[in-house]
Amino acid sequence: MFNSFRKCTQRLMSTATQPYPFSSVAMVSAPPPTPALEGLKAGKGLMPYLRQRLLSPEKLELLARFGRRHPERILPGSVLQVTSKHAPTAFTGVLLGIRRRGADTSVLLRNVINRTGVEVQFAVCSPNVKDVKVLMRAGGRGSEGRAGKRMRRAKLFYLRDSPDKMTAISAGMR
Amino acid sequence: MLRLWSFGTRPVFPRCRAFHSTVVSNATAEVESSSASTSTWTPTSVRTGLIARKRGMTVMWDNHGVRFPVTVLQLENCQVTANIKTVRDDQSEYHAVQVAASDRPLKNTTKQMLGHFSKAGVPPKRIVKEFPVTPDAHVPIGTTLSAVHFVPGQFVDVIAKSLGKGFQGTMKRWNFKGLRASHGVSVSHRAAGSIGAHQDPGRVWPGKKMAGRLGGERITTQNLTVVRVDSDLELIYVRGCVPGIDDAQVMIRDAKKKMTQLAHHNSAKGQFEKVLPKGLVKLPFPAGTKELAQALPPVIVAPSARVSDPFVPRE
Repeated sequence: MFNSFRKCTQRLMSTATQPYPFSSVAMVSAPPPTPALEGLKAGKGLMPYLRQRLLSPEKLELLARFGRRHPERILPGSVLQVTSKHAPTAFTGVLLGIRRRGADTSVLLRNVINRTGVEVQFAVCSPNVKDVKVLMRAGGRGSEGRAGKRMRRAKLFYLRDSPDKMTAISAGMR
Repeated sequence: MLRLWSFGTRPVFPRCRAFHSTVVSNATAEVESSSASTSTWTPTSVRTGLIARKRGMTVMWDNHGVRFPVTVLQLENCQVTANIKTVRDDQSEYHAVQVAASDRPLKNTTKQMLGHFSKAGVPPKRIVKEFPVTPDAHVPIGTTLSAVHFVPGQFVDVIAKSLGKGFQGTMKRWNFKGLRASHGVSVSHRAAGSIGAHQDPGRVWPGKKMAGRLGGERITTQNLTVVRVDSDLELIYVRGCVPGIDDAQVMIRDAKKKMTQLAHHNSAKGQFEKVLPKGLVKLPFPAGTKELAQALPPVIVAPSARVSDPFVPRE
């Protein structure tokens, strides 16, 4: 009975003045005030434009830092700390690789916890990911984090088989 | 002997053979009772579909934070060009709404098609398709259809020509197992193997599965959820994948299994809460038009169909 009351209030709050009569649970919003270019209605440049429409400015900024051309881009081999809403709430690890797919961009972090290698892949634009902090940057021009060694590869999967190199990176951290 | 049954006249109501007679009789009863311009959706009506272009895929996160893939479909001046009614020999009727999309240059359109489009009062289009409907779901000719025709939260079927794969072998085309990788197999690891018996029947059966052209055929992907509708750019975001290449023409209609069928069966059983998917009140009828889109908010998003948060463990 109390649950149904809660659901009732949630539904009422979702469509405050009932502007959309075809669904009682749909959420309505206004699109961001960007100039609608002529070609968009014909599909020209639609998908890159949709990335800006579907993501918040903070997420777009974070995406750009994992891009290829940002002046302070994050390179593989850096040590990152990712804070997320759900478990693991704070995970630190070496960036093994960046999977660039626009809004679906994800990063793979590896750490050795209690003598067990743990890898976590975080979707950068996910609402679960709150913050990404660079603890050590692997080369590149940046102000955040300590300076570390530049890696000569885009994907550092060889680190899975060399625990000594992993310990070397963690020693460089301390 | 006098045949008494031949004297009385059977009740003549238009029969649409594609739909059960009760569906059509209910739908026509609705038409007669209400005027043509203000028709409302009933659980037994079947409305028209749309033609859109598949623009690409991206990813979205729902209100719980769960990631799901979406396909972006965009309407390119989708307009109604004809309302079709055909009476068959056995007096049953076929009703359809003919829809055309994607404007085409005048110089590239044949004279025959130019005449057809000028009769409908629409600019020439690249693709013309029709959607079978019930008699109450006809749309005035020349109406520009909009993305708000579909309600976020509902299910749709998307029909398109699949990607062409060219001439393919039996393993890819028919999921044959092939032969072993070693142990004496010579030069035929991906071959089909035997194609028949011996002297009886002494031939290969017609329709034997063999290598050939794969893909490039009409495929229907059923029961995809409409997640979001942007009416300013006429975008429909549909959860999951859709056949065809980017910028391909696709047909979108209400899902036959999860919308049309369920609505009809549940209303016949009297379970009126189950007629539409959860949260849906009604559907734009006979179609969602450009005028209706101006009266509605520009961006409409459906919440997740999940009730509980998947990231919170259950007790």
